[in-house]
Amino acid sequence: MSSRSVLNVMLAFYMAVFFGFLFGPLIIMGVSAFNTSTYPQVYPIEGFTLSWFDKLLSDRDMVYGMKNSLWIGMWVVLLSVPLGLAGAMMMNQVYHKARSFYYVIVVSPVLTPGIIIGISTVVFWRDLTTTTGSKFLYDGVFLTVLGQSSFISAYSMLMFMSRLNRFDRAQEEAGLDLGATQTQVFFHILLPFLRPAIFSSAVLAFLSSFENYNTTTFAILADKTLTTVLAGRVRQGTTPAISALAVLIIAVTVTGAIIYELVKRHEDRKRQERLDAAHKAERMELQSIENATLHA
Amino acid sequence: MTAAVEIDHLTVQFGLFTAVKDVSLQIRQGEFFSFLGPSGCGKTTILRTISGFQDPSKGIIRIGGQDMQGIGPNQRPTALIFQNLALFPLMTVAENIGYGLRVRGVPKADRDRKVDELLNLIALSDQGNKKIEELSGGQKQRVAIARALAVEPKVLLLDEPLSALDLKLRQHMRNELRAIQRRVGVTFIYITHDQGEALTMSDRIAVMNRGHIEQVGNGRDVYENPETAFVAAFVGENNGFTGMVTRVADGLATVETALGTFNGVNRKSLAVGAKATLFVRPELMRFDGEGENIIDGHAADAAYEGITTHLTMKAKDSSSVVATIAGATAKAFPESGSSVRFAFTSRDATVLPA
Ligand SMILES: Nc1ncnc2c1ncn2[C@@H]1O[C@H](COP(=O)(O)OP(=O)(O)OP(=O)(O)O)[C@@H](O)[C@H]1O
Ligand SMILES: [Mg+2]
Repeated sequence: MSSRSVLNVMLAFYMAVFFGFLFGPLIIMGVSAFNTSTYPQVYPIEGFTLSWFDKLLSDRDMVYGMKNSLWIGMWVVLLSVPLGLAGAMMMNQVYHKARSFYYVIVVSPVLTPGIIIGISTVVFWRDLTTTTGSKFLYDGVFLTVLGQSSFISAYSMLMFMSRLNRFDRAQEEAGLDLGATQTQVFFHILLPFLRPAIFSSAVLAFLSSFENYNTTTFAILADKTLTTVLAGRVRQGTTPAISALAVLIIAVTVTGAIIYELVKRHEDRKRQERLDAAHKAERMELQSIENATLHA
Repeated sequence: MTAAVEIDHLTVQFGLFTAVKDVSLQIRQGEFFSFLGPSGCGKTTILRTISGFQDPSKGIIRIGGQDMQGIGPNQRPTALIFQNLALFPLMTVAENIGYGLRVRGVPKADRDRKVDELLNLIALSDQGNKKIEELSGGQKQRVAIARALAVEPKVLLLDEPLSALDLKLRQHMRNELRAIQRRVGVTFIYITHDQGEALTMSDRIAVMNRGHIEQVGNGRDVYENPETAFVAAFVGENNGFTGMVTRVADGLATVETALGTFNGVNRKSLAVGAKATLFVRPELMRFDGEGENIIDGHAADAAYEGITTHLTMKAKDSSSVVATIAGATAKAFPESGSSVRFAFTSRDATVLPA
């Protein structure tokens, strides 16, 4: 065997281990969701069934937690994306020397352990609502949205910052020069430029909220989200219904990823067509100049 | 008639650094006016001050007689063509051109009519739906001009707009820009460090150096009658010989230099003892040795360029002296290393303070 094919075999082996490590648990989940055995297992396959999905959908706690998680996720997106954008824009405005200080302050929630954010959110709001007599604000969903947003908006700020770094300030000046107000420049020029970052930070914010446990488990108080329900369940022993849930979540994620990829490919193709058109125009332009000088 | 733009004792400082020093000048209505100067001399700063992106440290900008103090860039009757054009990549060609009208609240129908008119002006009719990315360099250039003209500015400011194009296109666009300016009659203020551009396009040129204006005049003036040594050396090719004035008479000054004693026109009325540089254009330098002033040296190089040939001589202090002659006569130039004699007439030389 040549050294080259030894290398290939080793590489293939490595890839198999790597992907096995990544996707093994998901595959086990996926298969066990359809196996009739009452304990999640892949082998032996005792029979094919969809009953675990039924069971999942009739599990009131689980469905309730799921709805709550989606609801919280939506609010976190609505809060964190604008906050992150404002924070990133602020970053460009602050005086040079204050910039790194500002950065540390704004990013610190990302570095703080989630448990601490959860506990401090609870303590702060308990005291605040008690002393001001606004006890109705001491609500699990409300606190969870705030607690999660405190660090998720920092993620979103980081994403906006990297996009804003690529913004050509001359665009803004060109808008102003043509008579636009700052507000018009923001809506007509800056926001469209930021659209990809708005999209990706919204997705990231939603996913981080949806899967968050550490902060949520405290901030949610007596209420429930999907993660807290699941945590409680797993403690009592896992069932294939949980595998069924995993299959649903994976299906949604994979579908989303495929759609995203298709859209992106379509856009790349469009862009390539535009660049080709530009090249062609460029050549024709030079050609016509040459012709003009030849005939002159 | 009031000046289109009046710059009155303008100074711009960045911290301790003075980018523009006490500049005063008046730019006429409908004029193609250029600022010409080396990189970093403050051209862009002046342009940004006129357009309102930079506040003067001292001095006043008036546009159409009105003081611009406190008036923001979006309120000024100027439009700026940026060095990188700054077209809006997410908008179509037509949307780019119509943007200024859109933010002014001009109704769509009127806007479309104006956009069509401008697309026609820049020879891009029925390409309004294209994206900016689809355009060639020259087309982008023209869209930037149309976008600026759409708001009917009193003054169009252009910051080295051709510098990103390749040579052939650049020369073509010079003519096109000039033609557009003639057609629309708007005052153009043009910035460049390329003297060829400034000379071919402008009605008048301000030559700048380190934040101040050295000379203002039309291309011919600036080329043929430079007022300062900087202008003489920066605009076009020139041979300069530095030394001291030893005699003045009949409008001529005698300058003693390392290469000999030469006479030249004493334009700045220098007195005996002044330090001076005597300039002779290469095309006024003769290599047959006929003239009142003589420089001896060794032939170094003959660069044949078709119509002309540049002959370079190494003088005795090993500086180079260049004579530009008609291409055909260059055959008589001796071989490299053999001795040659250059000469020039005193009336063709200019003596300026060093
Ligand atoms: N915002 C600023 N802060 C500090 N210094 C600046 C600023 N803008 C310009 N300068 C300095 O002022 C000087 C003049 O700059 P300016 O951009 O006007 O030059 P320019 O003539 O346009 O040069 P170029 O041909 O390179 O564009 C430069 O030395 C530059 O470094
Ligand atoms: Mg500049």
